[in-house]
Amino acid sequence: MVSKAKRTKRKLRASALIAATAAAVLALTACGGGSEPKSADGKVELRFSWWGGDQRAKLTQEAIKAFEAENPNITVKAEFGDWSGYWDKLATQVAANDAPDIIQMDEKYITEYSTRGALLDLSKYKIDTSKMDEAALNAGKGEKGLTGIAAGINAATILANPAVFQAAGVPMPDDKTWTWDDFERIAAEVTAKSPKGTYGAAAYGTDEASLGVWLRQNGKSLYTQDGKLGFEPSDIKDYWEFLKDMSDKKAVPSASEIVEAEAAPLDQSGLATGKNGMAFWWSNQLPALEKAAGGELQILRFPSKTGKADDAGLWYKASQFWSASSRSKHPEEAAKFIDFLTNNVKAGEILLADRGVYPNSDVREAIAPKLAKADVKVVDFIDSIKDELGDAPAAPPKGAGAIQEIIKRYTSEVMFNRLSAEEAGKKAVDEMKSAIS
Amino acid sequence: MSAIGELSSMTRRKGPMTKEEKKANGRDNKAAYVFLLPWLLGLAVITVGPMFMSLYLSFTDYNLLQPPEWVGLDNFVRMFGDARLHNSLRVTFTYVLVGVPLQLAVALVIALVLDKGLRGLPFYRSIFYLPSLLGGSVAVAILWKQIFGTTGLVNQVLAMIGIQGPGWISDPNTALGSIILLHVWTFGSPMIIFLAGLRQIPVMYYEAAKVDGATTLQQFWRITLPMLSPIIFFNLVLQIIGSFQSFTQAFIVSGGNGGPSDSTMFFTLYLYQKGFGQFDMGYASAMAWFLLVIIGVFTAINFIASKYWVFYDD
Repeated sequence: MVSKAKRTKRKLRASALIAATAAAVLALTACGGGSEPKSADGKVELRFSWWGGDQRAKLTQEAIKAFEAENPNITVKAEFGDWSGYWDKLATQVAANDAPDIIQMDEKYITEYSTRGALLDLSKYKIDTSKMDEAALNAGKGEKGLTGIAAGINAATILANPAVFQAAGVPMPDDKTWTWDDFERIAAEVTAKSPKGTYGAAAYGTDEASLGVWLRQNGKSLYTQDGKLGFEPSDIKDYWEFLKDMSDKKAVPSASEIVEAEAAPLDQSGLATGKNGMAFWWSNQLPALEKAAGGELQILRFPSKTGKADDAGLWYKASQFWSASSRSKHPEEAAKFIDFLTNNVKAGEILLADRGVYPNSDVREAIAPKLAKADVKVVDFIDSIKDELGDAPAAPPKGAGAIQEIIKRYTSEVMFNRLSAEEAGKKAVDEMKSAIS
Repeated sequence: MSAIGELSSMTRRKGPMTKEEKKANGRDNKAAYVFLLPWLLGLAVITVGPMFMSLYLSFTDYNLLQPPEWVGLDNFVRMFGDARLHNSLRVTFTYVLVGVPLQLAVALVIALVLDKGLRGLPFYRSIFYLPSLLGGSVAVAILWKQIFGTTGLVNQVLAMIGIQGPGWISDPNTALGSIILLHVWTFGSPMIIFLAGLRQIPVMYYEAAKVDGATTLQQFWRITLPMLSPIIFFNLVLQIIGSFQSFTQAFIVSGGNGGPSDSTMFFTLYLYQKGFGQFDMGYASAMAWFLLVIIGVFTAINFIASKYWVFYDD
């Protein structure tokens, strides 16, 4: 009896030990599950992350397939999402030493990431930049070298929905001669002649592009060359006071409608759903917006103070950058992929103008016949403003990623009458200064 | 012999153990530790380790991308001058001090109704518990956003009776209220606990009260509430701790920015923004420890105050 009990006990203990060890090993491996450097068959896996809508996801995945067909030993794994969640995720990944190999970067964050050593100096790798537009190429250069290759060229624009204008019986504005007062008047007229809930224009104040244009038209800028804030509280005060005036005249929506519109993704934005006659977008977003709106849209220059297109103060922006993680285990392959996206005509024929006008002049020419109507519109617009451009703006300094949120927040403080435009200007400028210092 | 039986016989036995027994006991302990190992590892790696790491980080300037730099009490000093942090405290306290009592009151009322011996009780219990399962989820927060939007369900109903409602979640005056309402709606888990507590109150008290001619209201004040006070206390402590840490609803409803105008900027949301939006992980860690202190103080106050109103019937 006793011996039998002992034996079962010992057996039990042995199996328990095995079970416990197995559990412990499992727990440990679950934590240590990092990226595999190379699988047995010599294949390299790259991770590639970007932000953007459905259209972009589709095109980019096609481009990945084309790359994989040319490079059978490399597979590219896509990670994509909306703009809003993208940066939180990226920050966490980089901190956890788990950054994607290829990162779609924005000018607001590139200095942040590059000065902290998170991005690869791409000039040290085999990427042909000889055909790149010079300004676009320079935008990706910083103190840590070439940390981003421009994926496209963009301009800040106002997109208009002709259907809304037509329904209201208001003629489309002439964007070569219009002033901000014209903008307000026309937008208010559209609102007045449209069904309830439709407004002549969306509000600005939810991003820094419109503020950038406003400041440039007033002889200021968002940032100075030495990385400081380029404007005073009084400048942004005027910007908000005009917005408030437009909202009072119903040229743009009410405060709480503005807040709601902020959260909507591109496909459900006021312009796409026919609730806005005009809205502030980047030029490369036109094709996706046209698709969502189910009709044609028109690109307009920003209004100016003087009514002269030359004074609109527009500029070419690198829409996005291709960057690579400095901790990538396959920098060569990552560079190869970036080179493919930048210089390969096949990639160009797939991506077309989704990320802006191609900065590589050869690719741009080669894909011209393939461009869809919407893309042609974008390219034509970019070409047509070439002689009207103001000086290239200073690169956003470290910490510039916080500026948009500050503008947004104080815009609603002003719109909800919680702060006067003057107080908001002072507070906002203080906060912005400390964000980029 | 079952393990539990063995365990209880071991603890019950008095007197010194023999050498052999000690040895066996030691072996059993070793086996126990081996079994505990996965959990212990998890605790160390996933909970305790990061906690101490965050304590260390709270004394540093850490931007996620570069190694942390020791700055002493700097982060804590900075909190005193941070107006947005003060605002986030105001928002969080409003949420806790309004939301928790409201939620518990609703939970108690529903529990009282259900306790009246309704037919199909398990069914109703499940129905009322459902929001609690869903309420913390992202989907419901998104749903909430639709319902309380400018052209949402609530305003459509209001429009039928001729009232033009505001954009509940997009107006800084009503946004926090909408989130508090979402919190109140998830009254299920305190309700279940109340229900269990109500079942524990001996019927004889009520019978005796009835004989003495006590009204229903008197019975509630004199019997139900005192008898239920330990349960109320339990729920209060749990809910206060949980509410201080709530994050998901505000994050989703405001689209992650605590807006409009910071009116739904919860402490945790601000912490998150500081850490992951502005790469100020040292400051965010300091905030986390500050929140721990706040919750600790509130829980201590709760326990001290409980001496004056919680009645233990034993």
